[in-house]
Amino acid sequence: MALVDLVKPEIIKVPLESKSKQAVIRELLQVLVDAGKLNDFDAAYDALLAREAKGSTGLEAGIAVPHAKTDTVSSLTLAIGIAPEGIDFRALDGNPSNLFFLMLAPPNQSGPHIEALSEIARITQSKTFCKMLLRAQSPEEVAELLTEED
Amino acid sequence: MEGPIRRILVYVDGTEEAITAAQYAVCLSKTTGADLYGLYVINTRALNDLVKARIFLDSEEEEYHHDLESDAERYLKHVDKLSSRKGVSATLEKRSGTVHQEIKKYAEEIDADLLLIGELSHVRSRRDEFYHETERAMRLVHCSVLMVKDEERVWDLYDALPE
Repeated sequence: MALVDLVKPEIIKVPLESKSKQAVIRELLQVLVDAGKLNDFDAAYDALLAREAKGSTGLEAGIAVPHAKTDTVSSLTLAIGIAPEGIDFRALDGNPSNLFFLMLAPPNQSGPHIEALSEIARITQSKTFCKMLLRAQSPEEVAELLTEED
Repeated sequence: MEGPIRRILVYVDGTEEAITAAQYAVCLSKTTGADLYGLYVINTRALNDLVKARIFLDSEEEEYHHDLESDAERYLKHVDKLSSRKGVSATLEKRSGTVHQEIKKYAEEIDADLLLIGELSHVRSRRDEFYHETERAMRLVHCSVLMVKDEERVWDLYDALPE
């Protein structure tokens, strides 16, 4: 499944209000609840924290990709958050994280999960593109950048 | 078999569209007498990329690799059922690596005349064109390519095929 199939303004929050790792995960999960894409908030939260306990998904250059396999979703589910000020996500480089791609996948959809994560890895390699995302003022603008509608 | 289509390769990636392609491949094989081959590729390239990008831990790579192995077995078994139900013998292959390259290699190895793929979704971004594995395979393979569409019609054709 292509990332473009998952990106909709209703799963994007700009800017994030949270100031801590746990809070940003909760905030993004609430986005999914509000968008009607998640019912069991607590189970999804626990799955994400269990993954974070093994090692932070806060990468370098302000990118964080919290993810987990969980049967609380029936299909691949993505939430995107942007925090221009940066949030301490215990990133590998010690710097604050700005761009959050939270992904939940049912256990039987590892293939699409891997493809979507690979696409995130690829697009976030471009510093210019990440800067453009950081400057976005609305969910619609973020969605437009990510889907590159012609 | 001396017709224009002697060896059909269908690429199965676990999507509904790929299953439809497999059904159509069975129909084609049954009616033309062409040999049928099915291929599933475990995308280890993507797994490696995720470890390199540090999105995956080593333990996750192993876990997901195991998941993909299971998917491969499951989907190839399904293709086997689809073909044997209609009295068609299929050679099924599981490979690992970069998907489009493995499809290309295997098509060459078996000297496929025709590659069947499931319907591709509407291209909405330039990334789709550059990175969609099936799309890249379609451009790379040496043989003709048939993209199978219209799930309902294919289902009817498959159903109507004598057992």
